[in-house]
Amino acid sequence: MSRASGYRGAVAVRRESPMSGLDRRNLGPLQVFAQSISGAAPSAAMAAAPAVAAATAGGAVLWSFVAATVLALLIGVCVAQFTRRMAAAGSLYSLTAKGLGPVAAFAAGWALLIGYGLLAMAALVGAGTYVHDVLRRMGLSPGWGAVAGTVVVLGVLATVLTVRGVRLSAKVVLVTEALSISALLVVFGLLLARVAPELGFTPFTTEEGLGGVAGAVLPALGAFVGFEAAASFGVEARRPFQSVPRAVQWTAALCGVLYLVAAYTQAAGLSQLPGGLAGQPEPMSTLAELEGLPWLPYVLDAGIAASFFACTMATSSALVRVLLSMGREGIVPRRLGTTHPRYRTPHVAILLVLPAATLLPVVLLAAGVSTRELFVALLNIAVFGYLIAYLLVCAAAPVFLHRIGELTRGALAASVVVAPVLLAVLVLFTVNNADGPYPLAFTLLLAAGLAWYAWVRARRPRQLAGIGIYDETSASDLLGGRP
Amino acid sequence: MSPPAEQAPLSGRQPKAVRNALAVLEEVVAAGPGVTAKEISAALKLPPATTYRLLNLLVGEEYLVRLPDLRGFALGRRAGRLTVPVASGPPAAARAVVERLRQRVRWGVHLASYQSGRVELVDADPDHPPSDGALLARYPHASALGKLLLADQAEWRAMVRDLRPFTTATITEAGRLETELADVARTGLARQCGELYPGRGCLAVAIRDVVHGTLVAGLAVSGPTERVAEPNPDLLALVREHADQLAPLLA
Repeated sequence: MSRASGYRGAVAVRRESPMSGLDRRNLGPLQVFAQSISGAAPSAAMAAAPAVAAATAGGAVLWSFVAATVLALLIGVCVAQFTRRMAAAGSLYSLTAKGLGPVAAFAAGWALLIGYGLLAMAALVGAGTYVHDVLRRMGLSPGWGAVAGTVVVLGVLATVLTVRGVRLSAKVVLVTEALSISALLVVFGLLLARVAPELGFTPFTTEEGLGGVAGAVLPALGAFVGFEAAASFGVEARRPFQSVPRAVQWTAALCGVLYLVAAYTQAAGLSQLPGGLAGQPEPMSTLAELEGLPWLPYVLDAGIAASFFACTMATSSALVRVLLSMGREGIVPRRLGTTHPRYRTPHVAILLVLPAATLLPVVLLAAGVSTRELFVALLNIAVFGYLIAYLLVCAAAPVFLHRIGELTRGALAASVVVAPVLLAVLVLFTVNNADGPYPLAFTLLLAAGLAWYAWVRARRPRQLAGIGIYDETSASDLLGGRP
Repeated sequence: MSPPAEQAPLSGRQPKAVRNALAVLEEVVAAGPGVTAKEISAALKLPPATTYRLLNLLVGEEYLVRLPDLRGFALGRRAGRLTVPVASGPPAAARAVVERLRQRVRWGVHLASYQSGRVELVDADPDHPPSDGALLARYPHASALGKLLLADQAEWRAMVRDLRPFTTATITEAGRLETELADVARTGLARQCGELYPGRGCLAVAIRDVVHGTLVAGLAVSGPTERVAEPNPDLLALVREHADQLAPLLA
């Protein structure tokens, strides 16, 4: 990693990329795309998110998803400003560093670790819950043991697959997610075909007013969370400057369409019932029963469980790459920055993170926490982490572009629109969760983050200043091989 | 659910975009490495947004690279493909070394240069004509000289268009080639046994720049397959000795 001599007297070019050791430039565009899709886990959100959003927005639920889609697309624009120019493994953490510097990047990194870590756990618990539901529907009465068992099996499987190579895990993620979305499309197609004839339903009402829509943007945006996962695969993508920004943008667009279809189907199908969509605890099962398709929930549950598994794989893969970057920078122990010589994956980080993400939910379940509460709490805190990271990266984009002298009006506009909205959503989110376990959890996480920051600042100021490692141009990428 | 292929063939109706892209490339060459997007935009009188888009496109296609400060641009390796390799023969001193080896062994002795980023025979044995030069340049996976070059790449896949089978012995699986290239990189020796023509094989050793250590050339001996497959320690020592003599002459 020695620095070569000066380049035009100013820029030094390394002999070797600081991200060497990963399976560089080896993932096709479809596999990169699958990471982002799986990170967002649209199948699960299609089934659950519309009812949650409808609780606030009522009949205006579709508007809230339109707004959330626009917001996600704008976040995608901001992320793309970086991913079109640099190939990083540290996702939004490394990107933020290039715009707002090390302190903001550190905050984004901490928020992202929480977001990725808890979403991976939530997805494991979610997969367990849906497997449990399938068993219950079959007439069995499994307890929390079935959930915990599924969590352990899938956790071990995810660990093995992610260690064994990024190509293998990306293939598994792609196939699983494709099956899951296909299953969900069949389910929604069937329901939509039966719902459509009885159109006495106007999809885009605004009876709840703008306030309702704004309030429902939060759960709707929560359904998109994780769609930036491809930003962790910049080093491994074959053509990162094209495939990574495209994967993030297309995921936002595709998820937006899927959610609108899902929200429309559920809102229209349940509009006859008292309370409509908002009054249903299990909207999909109710809808399936209503339309005389009792076998549909099996397909649905299996599809959602598969989607949750893919989500665990994608988010934990992103998480370990953030840790890998931090390890190489010296922000976390250097061991976490090592890669497996043969599989070329960050195996130390994986073997630390995934077993922990598997065991923690199992311990909590064994301690008597209900699966539903656990899932919702993990998901909520994860969303909080993601929103902070999104806000920081969106604020960082124009600063970064200005720094390199490539700021355009469009890029600035995207940031100016999206950053205040995200800030408002964050505030709303904090206010909404002012009760229950959340204030305590947020305080603890904030305290932990600050303590860690204080330690890094005191002990490793040089490493802190060096945050923002990425797969930079090395001598071998230049024509002529050397300056 | 795949992103749409934007590789739709150019309709030829965007002459301006093509012209601008070429102008941007030319400007990077003219201004030298480290030139920024703003400077290029000013020099070409192109709107900034257009310039940035073209630059990002050219970086995406790897004709250009962004330097580690993320502001400056330089030519990427792929830009090397835009030039026609100039066939400048090796210096007389180097030819003399190759000739000396020819007189000491009963094999065909060939010298290839990698300066242009591909296999280029610069001193082929007149008594043992080697495989067609264009074929070697195009399918590096099937020759010993080509494998030396591939083993030196950070991403050899970018250089191999297809792993075309020439004989039953040609390596056509990426995984197997990867393993073999790792061996080549470790030992500095590449071997090819009947992978291009049945019954013909080749041994090649790397010649590296004495100062920078970059791969500059390969020295190969060719002969019948069964003799190439043998360990040949004496022959190898001899070839390596001559390769070492060539290194300071070729940099």
